Amino acid sequence: MLIDVLSVDASQLLRALVIGLIQGSIFAVGAIGLTLSYGVTKFINFAYGEFLTYGAFLAVFIVSFGTGVPIAGLIAIIGIAALGVGISKLFFEPIEDEGPFPLLITSVGVAFILRYSLAILAPETGYRFPIPALRSWEIMGIYLSPIKIVIMIVAILAMLGTHAVLQYTMLGKKMRAYSGNKELSMISGIDTEAVIQRTWLLSAGIGGLAGILLALFSPPFGINMGFNFLLTIFAATILGGIGKPYGAMVGALIIGLALSFGTLFISPNYTQEYGFIILVVVLLIKPDGIMGGEM
Amino acid sequence: MAFELPGLAVYLISVATFALIYGLLVLGLNLHFGYTGLLNFGHVAFFAIGAYTAAIVTSPPPAQAGAVAYTIGLGISMPFGFLISLGLAATAAGTVAFIVGLTSIRLDTHYLAIVTFALAELIAAVIENEQWLTGGFNGMNQVPRPGYTTLPGDIWPLMYLGIVSLGVLGVYLFLDRLVSSPFGRLLRGIRDRESGAQMLGKNTSLVKLKSFVIGGAIAGLAGGLYAHFTGSLYPEQFITHITFLAWIMMLLGGAVSNVGAIAGAFLFIGVRELLRFMPNAGITNLSTNLQWVLIGIMFVAVMRYRPQGLFGNQDEIISGEEDS
Repeated sequence: MLIDVLSVDASQLLRALVIGLIQGSIFAVGAIGLTLSYGVTKFINFAYGEFLTYGAFLAVFIVSFGTGVPIAGLIAIIGIAALGVGISKLFFEPIEDEGPFPLLITSVGVAFILRYSLAILAPETGYRFPIPALRSWEIMGIYLSPIKIVIMIVAILAMLGTHAVLQYTMLGKKMRAYSGNKELSMISGIDTEAVIQRTWLLSAGIGGLAGILLALFSPPFGINMGFNFLLTIFAATILGGIGKPYGAMVGALIIGLALSFGTLFISPNYTQEYGFIILVVVLLIKPDGIMGGEM
Repeated sequence: MAFELPGLAVYLISVATFALIYGLLVLGLNLHFGYTGLLNFGHVAFFAIGAYTAAIVTSPPPAQAGAVAYTIGLGISMPFGFLISLGLAATAAGTVAFIVGLTSIRLDTHYLAIVTFALAELIAAVIENEQWLTGGFNGMNQVPRPGYTTLPGDIWPLMYLGIVSLGVLGVYLFLDRLVSSPFGRLLRGIRDRESGAQMLGKNTSLVKLKSFVIGGAIAGLAGGLYAHFTGSLYPEQFITHITFLAWIMMLLGGAVSNVGAIAGAFLFIGVRELLRFMPNAGITNLSTNLQWVLIGIMFVAVMRYRPQGLFGNQDEIISGEEDS
């Protein structure tokens, strides 16, 4: 079902570009959280997608008490950050010296525990934020709902915030030091336990935010939301070079655009798979991802 | 007169057949992870490729099959075609493993985990979307079961159990020889310290690729046996979850043990069959959801309390660290 390239007009192209950038910026938020935790804990957290799902569900749950979405979102992010620390203490800390494989395999189990516990608590199939349908804004001939623009602004702020934390705070410096050389950072007197814990806090909180943005971007959502986007987030993370927050941002924007243009030009039956194809091509050419160097 | 077995026996035969097919799937995964240290998180892809290959080469052509969604059915006829079908199932899965391995086996193990995970999602999407090839959501439900029409009554399931048992036995004996051969020792060497094997002049990427292809082909064979047992294939039989079922079976039985692979499959299928009788207490999908919570707990508990599983060796726990 190949769509004729010539039949695509300029406004469709522009729309694909804008939507690609917006979803890319959501993926970027998700990918940063994942890559931050990898940079410090050195294993891929398969339970990370659940932070997204839990963030969205917690926010919707708080909204149901009459709270506005921004406040509810903020509370949910704090809640998920705390959940992240709790999970790391309960499941990962006891086996942290066993090597990356046991940690990774444990994270698969944690993902199932979280997702299907939630399935029992939230048995309905579709959830959404109670946001009134707003009139779309016309910008350069394409129509965009204001909510999508808000999503993009929040995502960009989150990226700038992460940048500020990494570059200008003591925690950021310690995280980068620990990521670069574990032994050396311990010798220099960095409290590595605290760094690991705060990384979990940050990573889970950012994941929660990504989940809320994703839920606002494409409602309705269900318990599989985070897991379904895990692959896309992995692709963005690897594309940028795993453990590299700035790489993750670039990787995520590329993936967002690939999904958007792939859907437009090739076939709407596939979405995330375009990200996968780009990922394989990049791995073939440059296995370290597009951003080499350190965190 | 039809040959009839008591209902319970028919049920147990069917459960045992599924457990053996899963056991075969786990044997392939165990060669990847247990013996070679390859993190394969998309094992279901090879299973699916095997199953659909078998279905495509043996299903009747659409012209004869009536209203079906697929467009290719080679209709290779049964008793003899069964072996061709299984051979092609293993070959197709092995070929895909070769292509995927060629591009990503040399990468860090974490990357392989993600690439294989992505492969499984890609294959799942193709199965859902390419109706002409796989029947899409309508499935392929005219996969011939060898001898089904000629054998009376309940003899067929018994015979098929025999065929699957032979298949599993054959693969088991093959793997048993393989892992105790010099090649098998090389696999373990690469798993525990790849740089060491490289220093001895071994082409470790090539060796890992061989292991990946063999394990993938075994999963394809399992897929072929599955297709000819159930007679119908649908996308939901090949979701990502299947990969993790194979993983928990392997971990329960004990990675680095082929006996453990089969035992883990039987243990897990047994537990799951018992859970089937759990009531839902009026809550939608309660028993299925609890099952998956339980599977999650199994992952966590095995890794923490008994990483060698039931039959594994305590000295051979795969940590993924170069110098362990």
